[in-house]
Amino acid sequence: MLYCSSILSLRSSYCISFFKFQSKMVGFSMQPYGIQSMLKEGHRHLSGLDEAVIKNIDACKQLAVITRTSLGPNGISISQIILYFFTISLTVDLCMNKMVINHLDKLFVTNDAATIVNELEVQHPAAKLLVLAGKAQQEEIGDGANLTVSFAGELLQNAEELIRMGLHPSEIIVGYTKAINKTIEVLEEMVEKGSENMNVRDKDEVITRMRSSVASKQFGQEEKLCSLIAEACIQVCPKNPANFSVDNVRVAKLLGGGLNNSLVVRGLVLKSDAVGTIKRLENAKVAVFVGGVDTTATETKGTVLIHSADQLENYAKTEEAKVEELIKAVADSGAKVIVSGAAVGEMALHFCERYKLMVLKISSKFELRRFCRTTGAVALLKLSQPNPDDLGYVDSLSVEEIGGARVTVVKNEQGGNSVSTVVLRGSTDSILDDLERAVDDGVNSYKAMCRDSRTVPGAAATEIELAKRLKEFSLKETGLDQYAIAKFAESFEMIPKTLAENAGLNAIEIISSLYAEHASGNTKVGIDLEEGACKDVSTMKIWDLYITKFFALKYAADAACTVLRVDQIIMAKPAGGPRPPAQGAMDED
Amino acid sequence: MSLKVLNPNAEVLNKSHALHMNINAAKGLQDVLKSNLGPKGTIKMLVGGAGDIKLTKDGNTLLKEMQIQSPTAIMIARTAVAQDETSGDGTTSTVIFIGELMKQSERYIDEGMHPRVLVDGFEIAKRATLQFLEKFKTPVVMGDEPDKEILKMVARTALRTKLYESLADQLTDIVVNAVLCIRKPEEPIDLFMVEIMHMRHKFDVDTRLVEGLVLDHGSRHPDMKRRAENCYILTCNVSLEYEKSEVNAGFFYSSAEQREAMVAAERRSVDERVQKIIDLKNKVCADNDSNFAVFNQKGIDPPSLDLLARAGIIALRRAKRRNMERLVLACGGEAVNSVDDLTPDCLGWAGLVNEHVLGEEKYTFVENVKNPHSCTILIKGPNDHTIAQIKDAVRDGLRAVKNTIEDEAIVLGAGAFEVAARQYLVNEVKKTVKGRAQLGVEAFADALLVVPKILAENSGLDTQDVIIELTGEHDKGNVVGLNLHTGEPIDPQLAGIFDNYSVKRQLINSGPVIASQLLLVDEVIRAGRNMRKPS
Repeated sequence: MLYCSSILSLRSSYCISFFKFQSKMVGFSMQPYGIQSMLKEGHRHLSGLDEAVIKNIDACKQLAVITRTSLGPNGISISQIILYFFTISLTVDLCMNKMVINHLDKLFVTNDAATIVNELEVQHPAAKLLVLAGKAQQEEIGDGANLTVSFAGELLQNAEELIRMGLHPSEIIVGYTKAINKTIEVLEEMVEKGSENMNVRDKDEVITRMRSSVASKQFGQEEKLCSLIAEACIQVCPKNPANFSVDNVRVAKLLGGGLNNSLVVRGLVLKSDAVGTIKRLENAKVAVFVGGVDTTATETKGTVLIHSADQLENYAKTEEAKVEELIKAVADSGAKVIVSGAAVGEMALHFCERYKLMVLKISSKFELRRFCRTTGAVALLKLSQPNPDDLGYVDSLSVEEIGGARVTVVKNEQGGNSVSTVVLRGSTDSILDDLERAVDDGVNSYKAMCRDSRTVPGAAATEIELAKRLKEFSLKETGLDQYAIAKFAESFEMIPKTLAENAGLNAIEIISSLYAEHASGNTKVGIDLEEGACKDVSTMKIWDLYITKFFALKYAADAACTVLRVDQIIMAKPAGGPRPPAQGAMDED
Repeated sequence: MSLKVLNPNAEVLNKSHALHMNINAAKGLQDVLKSNLGPKGTIKMLVGGAGDIKLTKDGNTLLKEMQIQSPTAIMIARTAVAQDETSGDGTTSTVIFIGELMKQSERYIDEGMHPRVLVDGFEIAKRATLQFLEKFKTPVVMGDEPDKEILKMVARTALRTKLYESLADQLTDIVVNAVLCIRKPEEPIDLFMVEIMHMRHKFDVDTRLVEGLVLDHGSRHPDMKRRAENCYILTCNVSLEYEKSEVNAGFFYSSAEQREAMVAAERRSVDERVQKIIDLKNKVCADNDSNFAVFNQKGIDPPSLDLLARAGIIALRRAKRRNMERLVLACGGEAVNSVDDLTPDCLGWAGLVNEHVLGEEKYTFVENVKNPHSCTILIKGPNDHTIAQIKDAVRDGLRAVKNTIEDEAIVLGAGAFEVAARQYLVNEVKKTVKGRAQLGVEAFADALLVVPKILAENSGLDTQDVIIELTGEHDKGNVVGLNLHTGEPIDPQLAGIFDNYSVKRQLINSGPVIASQLLLVDEVIRAGRNMRKPS
């Protein structure tokens, strides 16, 4: 696929222009007129409609082509292997997904647009604007990045047609701005009645809203995944759902088994072993020490001053006594488990064993904080006797061996809304990573629905309705922007078209029958991808979140307008730095 | 070539070559920047060496980022940047004006005129224009209660040239209110008291003014409150962490007890300081449900944070120095440098202290303060380039409002001043000048027209039509500007288009100076050692 190389590796064309340029720089007496003469060598300057606007649109279109094919549940049946700075594409049959290899040689197999655009390292500045819009969507909602990039690409493609018709970009911007405002209006009318009141603790309701988002990442497995995600989310949903934190749903990836072996643990799963010999405890109190479990040390360098052999002997004894005293104090407070945020000293460990304390070491500060949230413990800085209030509680704490890895499972059923973990099982790292991204998207849509639970019909029903309504709107406008609004409306067709194409259906037929249904007033008719027919979404139960659509469309329109607004690009010479090692041909395997 | 004898590697341009190089560079720079001028100007995209994107319409940003190399262009760019530093706006106009002066001169020079004569004419015209500006400006009385409407009109005019219309209108209110908030009677306005903070989320239209302060960090302890109402604020610059002694000290001990004692002693002095703050908190918060927050410029180490958290105090460490100043202005109280003599009078007050987490970034909002003299403009936007664009615009908007308050005068915009000044120069001044300097005055007068010309050009209007119509109206005695939507003359006063007096004055002052200098160059020599490796 040649287009990849054109947007991804502008660097090679940088070099060409750089050499051309140098030949021009003979002496300053011969300076050419214009901007080129004024900038540092290596600069590139593009301006005007043909050079800047159309080229930008071109780059964005190509980016959208890449992401678009993975829109919806049935992704695409080719994969693209994209290497840093140069591109080879193979048509390997790896259904639905894209295979991306980034500059660190890490392999991604995914159809999550956010991942794809992140790892592609897009270089073209205009295409980058689209990537940024996708990223913004990912950060704001956590889902719908694909819709953002693809839709913006489609808008720009249509803008190109308008420019070729003779419209000025500023008129297109005016039209697009009007259109997006109208779209938001219509979108609001499309909201399913009654969906604004939702019980975020009801698993079925949650699954209804989450399904389309998860299905677009893991088609066919969404039932199982949704129920896992919903269960995990509901467990940790606080009293005020708006405060739901994505951080409280953890994912633990364990190699081996399959998706059906995945489960939800109420509590944490730590990927480490216990330090001591005690590996299993139930109903135990926990003391957490951030600073490590060892002898205390001064900030200033300390030296042991010993004058005689007696002192030497005594010193070791006092040291031991001190540690024992501390460990005993912890044991006396009722704690059965010591969790250390730093090193656990040999001597301290010895006394812990003696006092039958289980010892865990969690070196990540954030993981330790999550552990505190799970157990309700207050982290103490120094090893000392904890107050009863500072102790946490676990139902069970056990080291288990799953798929060859030792993990510590911390369960806390009573803790209520603290932390829950989805344990994912899968046969390869790539599958696990992709599952994790699907879970992330699901959790993010749970968060989104906690903020705003309104839904709109899915399966392209909303898009067709928007297209229809906007077309009607454009006919009422009198100025030149009516063309832009009509094109904006047309852009929505991209979604049902892509959905149908990716599912191997006849897109034209589907779209025309969708329009027919919508014209006769059935505003909720969408595509049933399994049967290849048009159906009412309420029978299929495919709903999208209003808020995801809202942000995605808005960011897409913003990005498209920004690209159109730019009429000059000035590029500095790319900063130096080590060149990437020359890549040979792919290894045969 | 005498120079070639001295240094065979030297490059020399003389006489008309030198002059044309300068003129070409000035014209080239004008060409680059002219599409940015005015509300209908287009946006440029700058791509940095690392592939980072910047979108801008601001001449100043553009000149800074463009990495210009031509020596003449650098001189012009420096003048323009100086214009920005003194008056905050008008960079694009400066570059365009200089370019146009050079272009007009070129015509006369090609006809054989000596640059010196032109320069003399420029000088006369410049002085006359400045006098005319004094007469032309509209004085406004600022007093204790400045007229908000006028400030808004000036700010809107400035902002609309940097951002699209609806966003510019929204920011207008924000910048005007921000400047009025920090303004103290009888004192010069210090724009640094407006904190500009950005958060990368939502849309550009969610930008707002926070009466209070927004800090870009949060408390570093998991158990501290995330939200506190009725909060006493202690602003201090006291180190609450153990500091090693300057000299290389060491402890000697011979038993674990002794070591424990050392550990305790090490912490004692820090703990004492923390305790003083806690005592004060207990004193002021004893019989009401208010909260207490400490903003420290120095560090607070984990044990101290822990003590403060247990006492229910929100503590932020390593606040920026300028934020300490702003915090005191926003919340009241005073910044203390020692905890030895803490009294409740040192404390400020805020209605709400709130921590907002955005991904991995934390923000602390200090809001609902009484009678603030410092405020924060919180810029939001979905990506960095939007934020940077708004930031540059806000800065210019603030400067525009400040200038208006300080100048106590404004100038009619939309090209009205330029056309009026040109007519004045041509119809009145020129006749009083004797000799060939007249032509210099004429060149200067025609160069002034470049602003309305380019405004028209950028809006897709016919330049000639517009100029004829505008000058015609002015000759009838009507002061009119250009309506960019229709191309018809309008009264800028009714449309609310006003420019800053100081911007215009600076523009007329600096433009001709640099143009004269460039015109008088008759030899360009490059004879320095070439530091770059030969390619």
